[in-house]
Amino acid sequence: MVDERTAPGQQSLQLILARNLISTLSTPAMIVDTHETVVFYNEAAGDFLGMRYEETGKMSLHDWRAAIGSAGGPIPEDQLPISVALRERRPVHITTEVHPDDAAERSIEMLALPLIGTEDQHEGAVGVFWPHVGDQP
Amino acid sequence: MPAPGPATARYGGNTSCVQVSLSDGTTIVLDAGTGIRPLGLSLDPAAGPIHILITHLHIDHIQGLLFFAPFFDPRADITIWGPPASGSLEHRIGRYLSAPLSPVDVRELPAAPEFRTCPAPVWNVGSAEVRAQLVAHRGPTLGYRVAEGASTVAYLPDHEPALGGRLEGYEDEWISGFALASRASLLIHDCQYADEEYPSHRGWGHSAVSDALDFARRTAARRTLLFHHDPLHTDERLDVLAGEVARMWAARAGAGEVSLAVEGNEVEL
Repeated sequence: MVDERTAPGQQSLQLILARNLISTLSTPAMIVDTHETVVFYNEAAGDFLGMRYEETGKMSLHDWRAAIGSAGGPIPEDQLPISVALRERRPVHITTEVHPDDAAERSIEMLALPLIGTEDQHEGAVGVFWPHVGDQP
Repeated sequence: MPAPGPATARYGGNTSCVQVSLSDGTTIVLDAGTGIRPLGLSLDPAAGPIHILITHLHIDHIQGLLFFAPFFDPRADITIWGPPASGSLEHRIGRYLSAPLSPVDVRELPAAPEFRTCPAPVWNVGSAEVRAQLVAHRGPTLGYRVAEGASTVAYLPDHEPALGGRLEGYEDEWISGFALASRASLLIHDCQYADEEYPSHRGWGHSAVSDALDFARRTAARRTLLFHHDPLHTDERLDVLAGEVARMWAARAGAGEVSLAVEGNEVEL
């Protein structure tokens, strides 16, 4: 078995390719590694949250939950699709209310997929989110 | 595909195969393209173990297997290493070494080679330490780093690290194959396309000259051989490309030495 994660200072190929993909998307998207670190989010996600990856760099999933927020505080961990996808290795889709800093509360859909590499190697998860259709102007 | 003939007589027309001779007598063969046929004829099958490290199973990297002479000598001690994927490596290679593509089945080879999926993350082959890692190419594809003492060879013959964007925009850890190639004594890297040919081949898993040079500069390899020439590139075309490479490398102020790989060349590390 090849363990891509163990090369010092090197992301796995699955995460590299995922970053390549979401970098080109206008849909807000993010990548989390198996250490529950948000290792990348794209420009659209940054626009949504009011911050830029180039400025924040990596962040813990805990901090991410706080940033995406909701009126009642951070989204509970067990309700954040990317947390569930990461821990249970299954796809998750929800519609929820969020309240990022400096923005009005809004309804969004969130989808997360686990990234399972060769020989069932767990590499992390990718999450995308977009305004709930019913809320679009 | 192999393109031997008068038009490729100087740079060579065989597909990927590189011999690495270790100090303990072990022979490592990187890929089994058509270049493995003449290599096999030059090896003494009884002289020491032979380890064939396959990067991936595209035909140009396994096409020479059936014509590797040591396979037909029962004295030969051969191990074939390859990338992880569904099914055993023997079964996957057996699709090629079996009817109707081959008159000889893999189970009939007198040397009875052993097939092994590369283990994680580092293992020893003879007196060398070998590291394998998946790299950006179509399908499960490994790059290799072979280290013996202070000498290291990084082998990434089919590699498109700039897929999705130019390398200067990425941190080291986000560049496919970076850890394998970092500060290698010798980097053997994909450079199939001239820059003007690349846009129509983006996503095919190979590098343009600019991207190969950017990768060589970022990884700070001491010497880089640009490899996996396009079969449509004649010696004459590659001479022109070599001139472009020299000019582009100088513009990058890269520290190491860069040149086009030439079939049959030997490098002592």
